[in-house]
Amino acid sequence: MELFNNLPSGFAVVLTPTNLLYCLLGSLIGTLVGVLPGLGPLAALSLLLPLTFKLSPVESLVMLSAIFYGSMYGGSTTSILVNIPGEAASVVTCLDGHAMAKQGRAGPALGMAALASFIAGTLANLILTIMSPGLAALALKFGPVEYTSLMVLGFVTTIFMVNGPAPKALIMIAAGIFLATIGTDHVSGALRYTFGSQNLIGGFDLVAIVMGLFGVSEVMLNVEKIARSEIVSKKIGRLLPSLQDWRDSWAPILRGSGLGFILGVLPGGGPVTASFLSYAAERRLSRTPERFGQGAIEGVAGPEAANNAAVSGSMIPLLSLGLPSNGIMALLLGALIIQGVQPGPMLMTQKPDLFWGVIASLYIGNVMLLLLNLPLIGLWIQLLRIPYKVLFPVILLLSVIGTYSVNNNLFDVWVMIGFGVIGYILRKLEYELAPLILAYVLGPLLEQSLRQSLVLSSGSPVIFFKSPISATIMLVSAGLLIYFAYGRIRSARSVNAAPPPTKEAS
Amino acid sequence: MRKCIAGFAMLLALAGGSASAQNVDQVRANLAKLKPADFPTQPIEFVVMFPAGGGMDNTARLVGKYFEKYSGQRVINVNRVGGAGVVGHTYLATQAKPDGYTVGIVEANTVLDGVRLQEGKSTWQHGDLEPVAFVNTDSTTWIVSTEGNLKNKTMSEVIAEMKAKPGTIRVASVTNTMLEYLAEQVETEGGVRTIKVPFQGGSPALAALLGGHIDVSGNFLAEYRGHLEAGKLKILAVAGDERMPALANVPTFNEALGTNKINWSPFRYAAVPKNVPAARKRYLEAAFDAALRDPELLAEFAKNGLDGRRKYATSALVAAEVERVAKGRVEFFSKRVAK
Repeated sequence: MELFNNLPSGFAVVLTPTNLLYCLLGSLIGTLVGVLPGLGPLAALSLLLPLTFKLSPVESLVMLSAIFYGSMYGGSTTSILVNIPGEAASVVTCLDGHAMAKQGRAGPALGMAALASFIAGTLANLILTIMSPGLAALALKFGPVEYTSLMVLGFVTTIFMVNGPAPKALIMIAAGIFLATIGTDHVSGALRYTFGSQNLIGGFDLVAIVMGLFGVSEVMLNVEKIARSEIVSKKIGRLLPSLQDWRDSWAPILRGSGLGFILGVLPGGGPVTASFLSYAAERRLSRTPERFGQGAIEGVAGPEAANNAAVSGSMIPLLSLGLPSNGIMALLLGALIIQGVQPGPMLMTQKPDLFWGVIASLYIGNVMLLLLNLPLIGLWIQLLRIPYKVLFPVILLLSVIGTYSVNNNLFDVWVMIGFGVIGYILRKLEYELAPLILAYVLGPLLEQSLRQSLVLSSGSPVIFFKSPISATIMLVSAGLLIYFAYGRIRSARSVNAAPPPTKEAS
Repeated sequence: MRKCIAGFAMLLALAGGSASAQNVDQVRANLAKLKPADFPTQPIEFVVMFPAGGGMDNTARLVGKYFEKYSGQRVINVNRVGGAGVVGHTYLATQAKPDGYTVGIVEANTVLDGVRLQEGKSTWQHGDLEPVAFVNTDSTTWIVSTEGNLKNKTMSEVIAEMKAKPGTIRVASVTNTMLEYLAEQVETEGGVRTIKVPFQGGSPALAALLGGHIDVSGNFLAEYRGHLEAGKLKILAVAGDERMPALANVPTFNEALGTNKINWSPFRYAAVPKNVPAARKRYLEAAFDAALRDPELLAEFAKNGLDGRRKYATSALVAAEVERVAKGRVEFFSKRVAK
């Protein structure tokens, strides 16, 4: 099998001192931003993006993806100990993780979070490795028509997966699509909503929007929260979970791995939704659902497994189709394009060293992270003692520098600040920001492929049902939409039967 | 094909072989004689209007390396990105100090598009960027898949096919770029009609071609060299005034269509804002000239299908070529509006 030649060659690429160093560096930074509230992987990646210009494509992708899954490890630490999610995918870990910490079981909670992440990460990598060779050939079958259907599915699943009221999500999606129309129309070349500004000819820069919406607004929100939070200063105790803990957790970890992987592959999914859905699933499947929220270890193991598996899953559409399934992947895509690498069906054959190198690095990074997060957990806890009056100005300063350095254009900094304020207001009003970013990325892809398809068919929409792939995806989307609408109507009738599992807006 | 490219690279290396080690010292000494006493005393900025890692950026970094080699001056690459290049060009033409420390690495068609895109509101014209050196030309090509319907056809036969079945051959086009203009011009000059499918860039178009979703794609050699060598693609024609040295057996569009109007070659040059002191400008011209004659640099260019032969050895010749490109475009776009 080809696989047995490819993966070793990938390891050969990664096991050089420099690549290992960047993998370690990414793991460290990832854990750091995961631990620090107010700085998530998205903000961290956009901050560090300009620094990767000097690296080779392999080095930069190895480091950036390590930051991504590293933050999945680190995020749980803050959730468990402080009850502030270190990043969005660890929101649900607060519920049972912090409850465990209050009962003096912080150690097993932290240990289980790290071990579940490791097991799920490694399992998902195995699936990714086995599936990859078949993907490139399949990916080439995706032309404009198939992409259009895929985008439609992406939008449907985005609505499906958001937490909170659907109208709010729809408003965010619409806002994202609208923002994406600003600039040059890629089909006719016409300028849209630029109001004569040369800065708007290319539209808003993704990094500026992301930094504003997530970085700046996060700091503003956390400044308010800090006064009210307390760090559990009791002894952490034994880290390794007990036999009973394992008995409770092994099935949630496996389910979380599978669920996370699938959600990672689907456009619109990603670690955040994966962790929420895993938590919901575990609570529904549990024989003792009343323990959830009171320190059930399954509520830590499942979601932590799911968010890590989702990272590996989301590598598939990025590397094989050049399609980002979530905002972080959109940034990785940007990083690759800046490097002159166009991810897509040809990546695996054109740049096998990059493709297999990155996959091999996922295995190595997970081992590094397990070591960083179990024996060295004490170090990361010390970090939580940095006073926020020092930390937050530093984060803001880095945001400004990071945004400016992408294009050396001051306009982007104003965009970032503007979106920071908008993001703060929206989050206060409990709007989720992730659908906006996703729509900002997917919107232009949908428009482009839709119009390409209609050019090809001289305007006939029948083309979407002539290709078997496209027809299947369209039918699935329609089915999901109906199921979704039906479910919403039903749950609206049975008002407040059960309160939603989430209390923090991500 | 691989042999052909490698052979060309070797030829260039041989031709430049005379520029041996002692020659480098000679060139450096000659250049030092032209150096004004007060310039440069700080690093020189190469401004690129496109993101780091792209084709333009790579070219600029490569030239910068050899500029440093001969002049001994430090070069910093600055990417001023935004508005399809307009932000950076505007900066270079109207905001950068004319002190010789800011040099743009620009491309004629993008400069001209920058003015055109602003729909009469531009605060500068292409003449406000004064050329100091020619860098290289690239050639736009049309390619087909070796598994598609057109695999055995030459460019003239493809045109005949387009005539026989109007509005059926699917051609990739990238809006507001030379690839779109080229497709339009083939239609008008050849008297044919195609389906022009808009893509956001060369790479997605290439993927669509390999997947059989389109029939013809317009790309630069550097984008598809791997697939060409793997035998997955065939080149139909090149959109330059003459054949590409690296692809001597590929005809030009002009040959295939019997015209002389089709020339959509990127033309890259170094430019400074107006009113740079004459002595400084002369020094920059000489330093670029020395760098751009380096055989290693020319071999690097050739590997990616870029032609760096010094056909435009003086800045006056470069300016004249930019004017010629501008004139050809005015003619093309006036017809396009009329249509």
